[in-house]
Amino acid sequence: MKPTIEQIGTLLALKREERPEEGYWQDFLCDFHRNQREEAVRKSGFANLIGRVSAWFSEMSPSKWAYGVGLAYSAVTIAFVLSPREVVKENVPVSPVNYQVVPAPTPSAVEQLNQLDLSPTTQGSIGEQVF
Amino acid sequence: MFRQPRPPDPDQDLVTRAQQGDTRAFDALILKYGDKLYGLVYNMTSHKEDTHDLLQEIFSRAYHSLGKFKGNATFYTWIYQIAVNLTLNFLKKRKRRSSLSLNDMDSSVQQDPALIDTAHEANPEKQTNLNELQLKLNEAVKKLSDPHRMVVTMFDIQGMSHGEIAKVLNTSAGTIRSRLHYAHLQLQSALQDSWDERF
Repeated sequence: MKPTIEQIGTLLALKREERPEEGYWQDFLCDFHRNQREEAVRKSGFANLIGRVSAWFSEMSPSKWAYGVGLAYSAVTIAFVLSPREVVKENVPVSPVNYQVVPAPTPSAVEQLNQLDLSPTTQGSIGEQVF
Repeated sequence: MFRQPRPPDPDQDLVTRAQQGDTRAFDALILKYGDKLYGLVYNMTSHKEDTHDLLQEIFSRAYHSLGKFKGNATFYTWIYQIAVNLTLNFLKKRKRRSSLSLNDMDSSVQQDPALIDTAHEANPEKQTNLNELQLKLNEAVKKLSDPHRMVVTMFDIQGMSHGEIAKVLNTSAGTIRSRLHYAHLQLQSALQDSWDERF
C-alpha cells in the first residue's frame, strides 16, 4: 500500500522543528566575527599596497605620466648598470686527491762517498792534465 | 492592468544599518534567519560540521555582498538564493571528491528526535513502526537528486510556498510543481513496502 502525498508531507513536516542545540548561535556568532577579523587582517596588507599604488596613479595628471614613465625607465636602467654581474663558474667535477708522499731513501754517508769518483786519474796534478 | 506594489521588506531597517557598517544589525539578521537556513542546509548535507562551515560561508558571502543588495528582492529571498547556490555547489564538489555513502552521514539524521511523533509516544509499538518508516523516508529523501531534494526540503519541511521557492530558485512555479510531483512519486514508491495502513 502506498502512502498518500499528504501523508508523506505530514511525515516530512515533522522535520520542521529541527533546530541546532542550545547555545549554537552564540558560538556561531563568535566564530563568524573571528573569521571576519582574520579575513580583514589578511586582506589589509595586500589591499593597502594596491590602494596606495592605485591612489598614486589616479592622482597623476596626463603630463605627469610621461614623467613617471621616464623615472621608471631611468630607475630600471640604473639598476641594470649597477647590478653586479654574476661570474659564471664552470662546474668541474671535483675529485679527491689521493697522492701519497713517499720519503726519498737517504743513502748513508759512506755510500755517498763511494758514489763520488775520487780516483787519481781524474784528480790530476796541479798544473798538468792527463789525457 | 496595474501591478500590485510589492510589500516593503520587513528587514529594510536592519539591512540599511548593516550596510552602514553596523555589525550588530547583521548579527540580528543572522539570528533571525539562522534556524531556517540551518534547516535548509542540514537537510541537504546531512552533516553537522558541513552545515556549520556552509552557514559561515553563506553569511560571510552575504555580509561582503551587502553593498550590492539593492532591494530588488527581499533580504529573505536574497540570502536564501545565496544559501541555495552555495549548498548546491558544495554538494557537487563533495560528490566529485568522494561518493559519500549513507553511512558517512550523521546518524542523528536517521534518529532525528524531531521525527519522533509525540502523539505515538504512549504506544511503543506504533512509535517503533513510525521510527522505521521515518528511517526509510530519510533514506528515500537522500536518494533524490539535489534539485528535487532542495524543492522537497523547502516545500515539505520548511513550509515555503511554490511562489517563494520559484523566486529563490529563479524559475517558474510550474517547474517547482513538476519537480515536487516527481519527488513525491519517488518517495511514495520508496515507502510503499513499509507503509502501514495504521499510519
